[in-house]
Amino acid sequence: MKGSRADKAATVVFWALGLVTIALLAFIIIEILARGFLTAINPKFFLGKPEAIKAGGGIFPMIISSLYLAALTILISLPIAIGAAIYMAEYAKKGRLNNFIRFCLDSLATLPSIVFGLFGLALFVIYFRWSYCLLAGAFTLAILNLPILLRSTEEAIKLVPNTYREASMCLGASRWTTIRQVVIPTALPGIMTSTILPIGRIMGESAAIVYTTGLFIRNIPISPFDTAAPLAGYIWYAQSEALVPDYRQIVNGGAALLLIIVFAIYFLARWAGNRYQQTKLLGPKMK
Amino acid sequence: MPEEALENKMVIKDLSMYYTDFKAIEDVTFDVPARRITALIGPSGCGKSTLVRCLNRMNDLIEGVRVEGEVVLDSENVYQQGFDTIGLRRRVGMVFQRPNPFPKSIYENVAYGPKLVGIKDKEELDFIVEDSLKKAALWHEVKTILRESGQNLSGGQQQRLCIARVIAVQPEVILFDEPCSAIDPVATQLIEDLMAELKENFTMVIVTHNMQQAARVSDFTAFMLVQEQGQPGRLIEYGDTNTMFTNPSDERTERYITGRFG
Repeated sequence: MKGSRADKAATVVFWALGLVTIALLAFIIIEILARGFLTAINPKFFLGKPEAIKAGGGIFPMIISSLYLAALTILISLPIAIGAAIYMAEYAKKGRLNNFIRFCLDSLATLPSIVFGLFGLALFVIYFRWSYCLLAGAFTLAILNLPILLRSTEEAIKLVPNTYREASMCLGASRWTTIRQVVIPTALPGIMTSTILPIGRIMGESAAIVYTTGLFIRNIPISPFDTAAPLAGYIWYAQSEALVPDYRQIVNGGAALLLIIVFAIYFLARWAGNRYQQTKLLGPKMK
Repeated sequence: MPEEALENKMVIKDLSMYYTDFKAIEDVTFDVPARRITALIGPSGCGKSTLVRCLNRMNDLIEGVRVEGEVVLDSENVYQQGFDTIGLRRRVGMVFQRPNPFPKSIYENVAYGPKLVGIKDKEELDFIVEDSLKKAALWHEVKTILRESGQNLSGGQQQRLCIARVIAVQPEVILFDEPCSAIDPVATQLIEDLMAELKENFTMVIVTHNMQQAARVSDFTAFMLVQEQGQPGRLIEYGDTNTMFTNPSDERTERYITGRFG
């Protein structure tokens, strides 16, 4: 009897905790959308040029900045992360070096993002004389994201059952061929998921980019060396520094738009991942 | 069956294997006759799976494994310095305990090996895929669903797909590591029939803890045993399967076969 009561109590507690989490999340999302959704979907807003002093400015260059920055960051960090993850998961022997690398990665992952921002400012913006630009921000974010990206990529690779590797080797494949032909394709949906989650973080990061990428622009950035103003940074800027009278609307609309974009990317990636699994892995038709 | 002179495809000589300091098998010596089925039997943990993995050097992939003695394939010791292990694994294929098709289509699973050696021609690949699936007695069940994932098949079909995948590489020897332990009796029957057919072209070694299976499918049997906990597995008796099962020369073999331990 006592056992079943404890069991019931535990069920109630865990249900309640789960509900609280979901409610909290739902509240944040609904709140953001309620305040900003109408602004966000107004073409004048999301396709418009920002204003420095007048009301009625849009945020199109900021959206482009965010997407551009996210793409550059992934472009820089993903090859490094995949390469390092392959090393860690497939080649590295257990031992001191491996533990040391993990220790470094974990330390890196716990640093506050403002530290990366200042590091990026010192190295890319000032020392390399790139000035405030997309590339400086992308490299800064790439370093910021590397630990998480690497870890999750490594986990995705480790999830590939060893029996696949054995089967491949037994058919006369070398280790590298096995990794290329079997391990990576099998892990790819997992790797894609592990890439998408950091994209959300990249798009939402402000502290690391205010000192590296820039805060306000009027024209769409073209070159990686152009100054840019990613959405998250611009939201912070509009809230705290901007002179425009309608800054509240910009902040609310920008936040809602950011949320929508991140969701869209997430679902797009999930869809692409599933599609890949269905088509690419199953190969060509036979007559 | 007309008696032809038996040639040995593989000869295992004084083979010992260590996991770092632990000796897993010791001084195993026996022959694997060409185009015959040799069964390795013995209780769990006697080293029979370990032994069979020495034959195509799959144990090399495990850290800390060391091998002494010789495994001779067509008069060449596969453990000699500089021996091409990738080439070895093409010549000595393997079917595993659990069916392990890749998460690719049935077609891609079978075409995987041929593609590795650079066969790209679509017609040639189509032919190999069809031929291998036919030899594995799976063609009629899958010919309309070649593009579907190999993992959607039943366990027994998956295992035959794995056999087709090995056949596609045209190995000389096929090692079976308890190939039926994860599938049902009907599927087991199919695989045993298949092995009997494959005997015309391939030399086979099967690890099994099912003695009836060894008696049914094999021509020769090697019995392995760990005498006491912590000791290495040793070969107790090797010989013609009929003789082994009707008139074993070692008392331990007899006790095992009659089901008094293990």
